[in-house]
Amino acid sequence: MARIIGGIGTSHVPTIGVAFDRKKNDDPDWAPLFKGYAPVAQWLEQKKPDVLVFFYNDHANTFFFDHYPTFALGVSAQFPIADEGTGVRPVPPIKGHPRLARHMAESLVNDEFDISVFQELPIDHGCNSPLTMLWPGAVAAGVWPGALVPIEVNVLQHPVPTPLRCYKLGQAVRRAVESYPEDLKVVVVGTGGLSHQMNGERAGFNNEAWDMKFLDLIERDPGALTAMRLADFARLGGTEGAEVIMWLAMRGALSEGVKKTYQNYYLPMTTAMAVALFEEPGPEAPRR
Amino acid sequence: MNPQLEGIESLTGTHLFDLECSARTLRLNRFLHDLAIPEKRALFKASPEAALEQAGLTEAERTMVRNLDWGGLIRYGASFFTLEKLGRVSGVSNPGMVAHMRGETLEEFLKTRNVPGAR
Repeated sequence: MARIIGGIGTSHVPTIGVAFDRKKNDDPDWAPLFKGYAPVAQWLEQKKPDVLVFFYNDHANTFFFDHYPTFALGVSAQFPIADEGTGVRPVPPIKGHPRLARHMAESLVNDEFDISVFQELPIDHGCNSPLTMLWPGAVAAGVWPGALVPIEVNVLQHPVPTPLRCYKLGQAVRRAVESYPEDLKVVVVGTGGLSHQMNGERAGFNNEAWDMKFLDLIERDPGALTAMRLADFARLGGTEGAEVIMWLAMRGALSEGVKKTYQNYYLPMTTAMAVALFEEPGPEAPRR
Repeated sequence: MNPQLEGIESLTGTHLFDLECSARTLRLNRFLHDLAIPEKRALFKASPEAALEQAGLTEAERTMVRNLDWGGLIRYGASFFTLEKLGRVSGVSNPGMVAHMRGETLEEFLKTRNVPGAR
């Protein structure tokens, strides 16, 4: 049986990927970010999950507003890296897990979560910017050490799904993963945030106090977050910061007793960059 | 009014992208989105007026694109995430776009940041 062994919340700011590609590891402006991700990368290296289920948002690269899915599940064996306007990042194409993804599609739809599916579409920095921090050896190796099941969430064009709906999607994803017969170790990843705004005269807005409160509530009291409305998230964390509802999808896929064992926070420019690790109690999934 | 967004109008200087905006700016957003396609990007770089003509933009839209008027384009209803592609093709970074929307120069904006070199 497939098992969720933990979760990761992470920002997906595009400059995280740019800093990685330009090898800014020791640049004083970027070193706190690289150091901040290292313990999470080490945990992944040690646990060796087979699959990351990745809640992320597209930035009008995979999809356009002529058809913008609220939730979409990637079910193919591979996804190219999207060209976002400056050429394609020099990282391996995303490796999918079609058997698990197809099972998840079936489970979600039969569970009354009518998700749409996509195959072989290019995926943008919503996935690949944190991925090179989480699996930093993959570029040199030319291959990712595990597969991804990407789940796109619309946070660009309102109506955006409610915080509670994102949490419920996570719960349905947990049921889908746990009903998959093959022994797989799965980590769920929620991306986005933290506080930032990229439109209007309020652009550049941050709220460090709210970010800290969010990092606390997401572990201890996700119900306090699902009770909030999108306008509350926008007021506290900026309109784009409201994308942290994707962390709620990750949290919904974790057990009640999950523990946050690590976090890092860095706010250098316009977007607060955070990473947090959540570990499930209980025995390791059996190795294959 | 979307009940999830009630009260959002009290956030001064905020322009939410919703279906009403999206319908009104679909052609403009398609033009901006397509700058991520190498052939379209090459055409815009080589001959911006030909690219604007091909996209069938209105004169007001063309003026804002020519002037890289980020604040004006956002107020008009464009999506920041399609505007980013015009930023990249024009050599303007996200902090540069944000500074413009705030009515500041890039230098002024960077002074308000914790780590001005991290861009």
